[in-house]
Amino acid sequence: MRVNRKAVLWTLALVGFILLPQVITVKYYLHLSILALCWVIAAQGQNLIQGYTGYVSIVQAGFMGIGAYSSTLLGLHFDLPVWLTLLLAPCVTAIFAVITGYPSLRVKGHYFAVVTLAFNLVIFIVLMNWHELTQGEGGITGIPSPGGEDGWFDWSDRQTYYYFVLIVAVLMTGLAALIVRSRVGQILISVRQNETLVGAIGISAWKYKLFAFVASAMYAGLAGAVYAHYQSFINPEIFGVAQSLDAILAVIVGGSGTIAGPVIGAFFVVFLPEYLRFADSFRLILYGLALVLATIFMPRGIVGLVDDAWRRILARRS
Amino acid sequence: MIEILQQIINGVAIGGVYVLIALGLTTVFGILGIAHFAHGSVSMFGGYLTFFLVVTWGLPLFAAILIAIVVGLVLGVLIELLAYRPVRHASHINAFIVALGLTMMVEGLNLEFFGHEQVVIPTDLSRVFEIGGVTIPELRLYVIIAAAVLIGAMTIFVEKTKTGQAIRAVAQNRDAAILMGVNVNTIPIVVFSISTALGVCAGVMVGSLFAIAPGIGEGLVVKGFAVLILGGLGSIPGAVVGGLVLGITEALAAGFISSAYKDVIAFLAMILVLLVRPQGLMGKA
Repeated sequence: MRVNRKAVLWTLALVGFILLPQVITVKYYLHLSILALCWVIAAQGQNLIQGYTGYVSIVQAGFMGIGAYSSTLLGLHFDLPVWLTLLLAPCVTAIFAVITGYPSLRVKGHYFAVVTLAFNLVIFIVLMNWHELTQGEGGITGIPSPGGEDGWFDWSDRQTYYYFVLIVAVLMTGLAALIVRSRVGQILISVRQNETLVGAIGISAWKYKLFAFVASAMYAGLAGAVYAHYQSFINPEIFGVAQSLDAILAVIVGGSGTIAGPVIGAFFVVFLPEYLRFADSFRLILYGLALVLATIFMPRGIVGLVDDAWRRILARRS
Repeated sequence: MIEILQQIINGVAIGGVYVLIALGLTTVFGILGIAHFAHGSVSMFGGYLTFFLVVTWGLPLFAAILIAIVVGLVLGVLIELLAYRPVRHASHINAFIVALGLTMMVEGLNLEFFGHEQVVIPTDLSRVFEIGGVTIPELRLYVIIAAAVLIGAMTIFVEKTKTGQAIRAVAQNRDAAILMGVNVNTIPIVVFSISTALGVCAGVMVGSLFAIAPGIGEGLVVKGFAVLILGGLGSIPGAVVGGLVLGITEALAAGFISSAYKDVIAFLAMILVLLVRPQGLMGKA
């Protein structure tokens, strides 16, 4: 019964996503939906380390930056086709994640969060200041789209890119579900529940934590690369700490430690600020307030809220 | 040589500020197990408020600092009661997320009240002392002295007074402290008052030495945590050593390598220490 309900919901969601561009009349909302799908990829990665393994990492946007810049620069300097740089970007990000993950996973809990935050600051400073490579604050323009000049699809049409990102997001969501169900995923969950016990039964937790961290970084790298080739312009601005907090917010609000959570959360963090635009500088306060209230009153996120409601209905019926 | 000494003194001044931030963070962490991430933004609030009182109301600097400390105290206690207390028994991730949300709110509050201009708290301290060829601006010297006095007072408070003992008792073993008759509901309020007061002082120092601007608070709190990671958790001497190491590394990096990359180098130093001594320079294994 429960499995069926889930399958039905996922199918409905997929159909909804496929029909979305046909329903949307305002072009701007299509643009936001593409951004949200990029964030779905990044948030699925964040969920692996934060939701399943229980380590809050605050460098997701920094890793998105590494992915975006490496895909762009590899294409620019080595004349590689876009599909190849899109695949290479997560690999480059993974290298950075291994180097940074190894020392930072030596500290636990809050301190891990702070060390990763320091990495995000470092990435931001380097992107801003290494002008020869990144062109600094001005950013890089004219990033090509995946199709090149004479492809089968019309890449100048936003709908094409929407479906491209949708396919990537669906694949990555599926991959996340597979990881979580595998033995590795089960160990990640047990690290979250009781890391000492995991060690006590002879599993070296750090390997699995490093895996989760690197995997989450690769998701971010891919998300960043997909973003760069969509916008065709990048600058360091959107790869700062504030955006890493958005990734955390997406996971928490959606429902951490669930596969559906990051999908819902990603759309939430992209669309909510748009609706709060009327509030101007008050926006940050409202946003923070939403985060605090969400954590205090619905610690299991929107998915948890819906789950509880559904269970209550079932209980009443029987 | 003189140049190196000069940079070291600069490093001691900024390191002292980091120590004040770190002391607030470590006492809060010891009692509540919460990484009080909003601490930097609350400190900046104190700095902004001092600037506002001095420039707009024309108050003397010390009166402005006192008022800022009092307002900061109220803000700190409100944060404890309204935001941290409800998640006291939740998992540490939730507490951290609340802290992040609070940071956004306080940053937003700062923007709302004080705008996004970069401000410097005006002081009349413009004399320059020269000792053995090394020049020390008067302001920088006073900052070092004030930081040292505050650190000393904090040490005496935590080590010698009854309240300090109670704080240490709760940090060591909460249940045992309750059995010994320590009121664990008032201790967090005391801790938040003290750490916020130290934070406001640090904010004023940053605001008069350098400048206050949006976003500086986040950088400051990360430095505070870096100090704790460097020095080892939960010890005042560790925080002092960590703060000085971080401040001096940063000043030397800014002076001799690149001022744009000084933070990068400071964080690399932290990573290096983590690799060699995960428990920190003064921490016990």
